[in-house]
Amino acid sequence: MPSSLSKIPPGVQYIFDSEVRVRRWIEREIMAILDGWSYSEIILPVFDYADLFALGMGKEQAEMTYRFTGRDGSLFALRPEMTSLVARTVATRFRGNARPIRLSYSGEVFRWDEPRGGRQYEFHQIGLEHIGSDRLEADTEVLVIATEVLRRLGLEGFTITLGHVDFFKGIAERLELDDDGIREMRELVDRKEAAGLDAFLAGHADASTRAALCKLITLAGKREILNDARSLVGNARSVAALDDLENVYRIAEEIGIDEHIDIDLGDVAALDYYTGLTFKIYATGLGTALGRGGRYDQLLAKFGNPEAAVGFSLCLDWLAQLLSTKLAGAIADRPDDVVRLADGRDIVAIFKEATRLREEGKRVEVGGKGD
Amino acid sequence: MHLTLAIAKGRLQQQALETCRRAGISVPKEELDSRRLMIKDASGRYSFLFVKPGDVPTYVEYGVADAGICGRDVLLETSAEVHEPLDLRFGRCKLVVAGKPESAERGYNPLVTARVATKYPRVTADYFQRRGVPVELIVLSGSVELAPLLGLSDHIVDLVETGRTLSENGLVVIDTIAESSARLIVNRASYHLKRAEIAQLLASLREVLSAG
Repeated sequence: MPSSLSKIPPGVQYIFDSEVRVRRWIEREIMAILDGWSYSEIILPVFDYADLFALGMGKEQAEMTYRFTGRDGSLFALRPEMTSLVARTVATRFRGNARPIRLSYSGEVFRWDEPRGGRQYEFHQIGLEHIGSDRLEADTEVLVIATEVLRRLGLEGFTITLGHVDFFKGIAERLELDDDGIREMRELVDRKEAAGLDAFLAGHADASTRAALCKLITLAGKREILNDARSLVGNARSVAALDDLENVYRIAEEIGIDEHIDIDLGDVAALDYYTGLTFKIYATGLGTALGRGGRYDQLLAKFGNPEAAVGFSLCLDWLAQLLSTKLAGAIADRPDDVVRLADGRDIVAIFKEATRLREEGKRVEVGGKGD
Repeated sequence: MHLTLAIAKGRLQQQALETCRRAGISVPKEELDSRRLMIKDASGRYSFLFVKPGDVPTYVEYGVADAGICGRDVLLETSAEVHEPLDLRFGRCKLVVAGKPESAERGYNPLVTARVATKYPRVTADYFQRRGVPVELIVLSGSVELAPLLGLSDHIVDLVETGRTLSENGLVVIDTIAESSARLIVNRASYHLKRAEIAQLLASLREVLSAG
């Protein structure tokens, strides 16, 4: 056999047996919860015009798509995420529908991103989009749903971290950085690299501002860190971001989900489309974020219908990895309830019997040893 | 909750353990003298893994270790997705481009592919590409200084602490790519899931640093 037939390309996966049952169970549980919150499922194309994703994710991220040309020469890309597809659909075909629009999805996405930290080129995202509302209710709903999903799945420990795009943008504005400067600073903040940030800021800010910023990026915790932050920044945009975070957090406290929620002021979203509140989901047993989401109030405008939106997605592959041991007994191993019908007998009689058993809802297996 | 720390073996190991000891995390001597690769500290709240420097970011990125200590040179090369909240300020050295004195005088010719021997292929490729110089990488795992002497490469990119190895082999520094020192890195999930423990670790290490 030629090696191209026996070898598997890196970053793709074949999934079978118990793993499939675990994944399907998780998927059904999540989709049922989303349905319970009145999100209706949308099935999206696996590929679309490459420009669509570049418009949605930003040029840099869109570089990571798998691209190919269609018969007429137009450039397509395998979907690297679902949100741009949903946003375009809502901005065009659902333009006349009542708001808010609630949509859920489940499917594979493809990114040419160096496989590391267990990441694959292909992974399965399950998520939701809540479109047409900029209100606190929408942010709260998304957080409450995420919490319900993670609790229902029985994850041992999880934390949802809240950040806000404007917090960083407000600071960057004051420093009057160019695009390269913003990118470099964003990377330093993302890595919480205080020493590097201090060196970077040397030419842009005075000593007290530098000290304040270096402290800010490592700030994470409950509501009290917002007060620390308020004493360190004064620009209107960052302060408004802190107000937003405070409002969401206060409600989370009153609903009683705050034990799962932390604020992380050093969270700078990598995707250009996020505009306000952002969040990441971490679970015990996994070194990387299990899911992420946030506000993307500018994205629909790019498709011709400006309106606010918020959403999040979870990575099914990570969930399956986390839950496979826990679900081993209940889901992964099927009870041996199959009725085996020996072959070698009258073929008509066997299939008549098998059909009768199937009508009774029994699981059958024709062939094998039989009873 | 328990924290697992990955420590780079070799050059940084002694100072990393000394810094930890001053921060109140001490490892019993008999544990250190043993040949085990995973040991516990006296309080039982920390485990230490001793791994190759280049592997520290991997252990931390995957979350097998919650935090780790390794050089910035390694972080630049692996570009692992981890938090890097503290410069521990020991193990200072530089990542440099070096070569024979005559190649230093010539500089890089953007029309000629530079042959560069290194243990840091990613950093090297990035450095030359940014300058528009075509580069051919010769990846070696040690004694990189030999390469220009034997005509295997025009330049090398390597870590330099005192510069003695370079000068004894008749090489000179052409350019400094980055300054390096030991860094504390933290897994992104642990940063939140074990927030109190990580915050305490950071606080006690900061105290050691400010005490000088």
